[in-house]
Amino acid sequence: MLYEHIKGGLRLAAIDGQAASLKLSVGQNLADARAMVPGLTVREIDRPWLAAIFADFADWHSNASPLVAVMDDMTAFGDLVLDITGVAHLFGGEAPMLRTLLTRLRALGYTVAGAIASTIGAAWAVSHFARSQVVPPDQTAAVLDPLSVAALRLNPQQAAGLTQMGLKQIGQLPGRDRKALQARFGVSLLQRLDQAYGRAEERLTPRLPLAERHAERRFVEPIGLMDDVLMCAHDLAIQLGLRLEGEGLGAQAFHLFLYRVDHQVMTMSVNSGRPTRDPAHIARLFANRSERLQGDYDAGFGIDMIRLAASSVTQLDALQLGAFVAQDGAEDLDRLYDRVSSRLGPLAVVRSKFVNTHIPERAVKLEPVIARTADDPHAAPDPTRLRPLRLLPAPEPITVFAQVPDGPPNSMVWRRVSYKFVKASGPERLATEWWRAGRQLQLLGSDNHQKGDDVTAAQEALSEQSPAYREGQYSRDYYIAEDSSGRRFWLFRQGLFGYASQLDWYMQGFFP
Amino acid sequence: MTSLARMDRLAALRATIADIERRPALAEAAATPQSGADGFILPTPGLVQEVFTDERRHAGATLGFALAQARGLLSAERPAVVYLQLQAEAQEMGLPYGPGLVSLGFDPAALVLIRPANIVELLWAAEEAIACRAVAAVLADVAGQPKALNFTASRRLSLRAASSGASAFFLRYGAWREASAAQLRWHIAPALSGPLSFDARASGETRWQARLEKGAITNTHNQEWLLEWTENGFEIIDTGSASPAQPLAQPALSRPVPADLADRHPQTA
Repeated sequence: MLYEHIKGGLRLAAIDGQAASLKLSVGQNLADARAMVPGLTVREIDRPWLAAIFADFADWHSNASPLVAVMDDMTAFGDLVLDITGVAHLFGGEAPMLRTLLTRLRALGYTVAGAIASTIGAAWAVSHFARSQVVPPDQTAAVLDPLSVAALRLNPQQAAGLTQMGLKQIGQLPGRDRKALQARFGVSLLQRLDQAYGRAEERLTPRLPLAERHAERRFVEPIGLMDDVLMCAHDLAIQLGLRLEGEGLGAQAFHLFLYRVDHQVMTMSVNSGRPTRDPAHIARLFANRSERLQGDYDAGFGIDMIRLAASSVTQLDALQLGAFVAQDGAEDLDRLYDRVSSRLGPLAVVRSKFVNTHIPERAVKLEPVIARTADDPHAAPDPTRLRPLRLLPAPEPITVFAQVPDGPPNSMVWRRVSYKFVKASGPERLATEWWRAGRQLQLLGSDNHQKGDDVTAAQEALSEQSPAYREGQYSRDYYIAEDSSGRRFWLFRQGLFGYASQLDWYMQGFFP
Repeated sequence: MTSLARMDRLAALRATIADIERRPALAEAAATPQSGADGFILPTPGLVQEVFTDERRHAGATLGFALAQARGLLSAERPAVVYLQLQAEAQEMGLPYGPGLVSLGFDPAALVLIRPANIVELLWAAEEAIACRAVAAVLADVAGQPKALNFTASRRLSLRAASSGASAFFLRYGAWREASAAQLRWHIAPALSGPLSFDARASGETRWQARLEKGAITNTHNQEWLLEWTENGFEIIDTGSASPAQPLAQPALSRPVPADLADRHPQTA
């Protein structure tokens, strides 16, 4: 028995069959219920947790059919809906399939009701208001007609209104004037009615990404070892690869679903930079991906089904190797990046993508290689500007001594070591981007704000005094400074002398 | 009859054993570094080279030296250079910067950065990259002295490099040298840049002081060079007899090293 806080009181939120037989009901005050049944066992309901568990539970049912949805408009955590088009024969027909699904849940101690029908509405009505059964398409009307109107997934007001008017059974509705019904009960009643009888289409939103192609294998005896899983993934990749080859297709994303016997699904996904169907490559990616799982892999009591699904399927024509293919190594490289990304994560394998800005740290964005985007032709760096070979991701503040405040640096202290410069060239003046405002403009000072409380920072950003563009305030003068042993650094002074209230020096990079 | 068949089998087995014995245990087509007309190394594929420098603040010099060599290895069949650096070391050592590569004359599109979380993954990624036949060179930037990067690991990588033809450069820092299977070991220090004709106070072309600590380059007996980077590659600066190549200052050791006594017995006893 579960209770929750509703409107300042503790009310029953869910009850089991035994409690229902004691005349307790959902929504009842907990104190009243305790008075009626002194030895009541109650727990507080944890809705997010239950919802998460139910979602897992729903995912697991994708081992019966790939199209699984949770309809959450009527009951607390939703109703599980499976689209079994074309899969029933795997269970020996519709009736054995229903029996299998229901029995295996009952064996786990759940109270289940289910139905197979040609429409979602009819299946819902039958599973909630009749015994579990398979409704053949031609008998949908015959089965639906005697059921209560509440079976049409109506809200309580609609159901009560219909009952008051003497329309207690669904069968009484189709003959009525539709316009009158719509005027009284809204368009939703007609829609539900049409959906139940199959006159209007109803769609379900699948929980898992719809796999365009998949291969699967069931095990009589559950398996647990990762090596076995990977071996099976290789076999499935061969099957899937053959099928894709037959259709002239390749895929860029592969997902491995591991169905555990205790109703959990584990998912591993790998991506490939270019469409592929090579089983060895796919299996290798999964092997690398599994290395990254480390302790997260938990087979529980075993895995009894594995499905390999391919998505982002695109056309991939058969290629004659050797004759007309340019050996530019691009394919080898893409495979290398796929492999490394699958083990280290896609964000660990990056390339420099140039951004059209003159602020040095913003001019390059590190972009995952397997998700490369087109280059911006205007962003290519100017080869006449001398830039350091290594850039510090965040400039480091330094102490600099210069002969005159706006002159080149003479010496500096960086990381507690002092350097004396023998050569210095500059300045190269880079102004801020005047079309930006606030923190975007400030670049460096914004770190202090993030450490302080965000509220004041936000207020500051809104207020008039927020750093709007002010000439010279955040301009930078860059110098290339070389010390007596030949180390060359890229330093800059933030703020122009005479404009800015404070001149700060930063170290940003090293030259070779 | 049976004895004849047995004789045949024995002979066949003997031949097999002889075959195995004739082949050295770890055969590798060892690439030999060749020198060019100027006496400096030519780009040689399939080599593992260590590029040492004394301090981490010379990181720019080592990267420049390795990239300069890697540039010569790029070709149409091998269009990529892979750079590896631990994620945690990016702020201390700095990340290779695209516009800076352009300044050096290196195509930034050819450089791919791999940023593993630990040294084991770095070595794994290095091996994968070396094995790829489209990779020209692998640059591994290792700031510390990790235990995982021992002789076994470097031997493994050098065998892999010899068989695939990709070159590997290990950028290392500090004075400590552990055993490694690298064919060449360089000691690099930045040198005062060349003069700029119209501005005496500005830095000119990049210069390195390079010393070959281990390995040899055929056709040259030189072990120490002062190199300048030009558009066409390395150029050797003749320091002349007036200023003899001064030995690099002995760097501070990064860990305590026992003094070598003349008589070793007292130490061990």
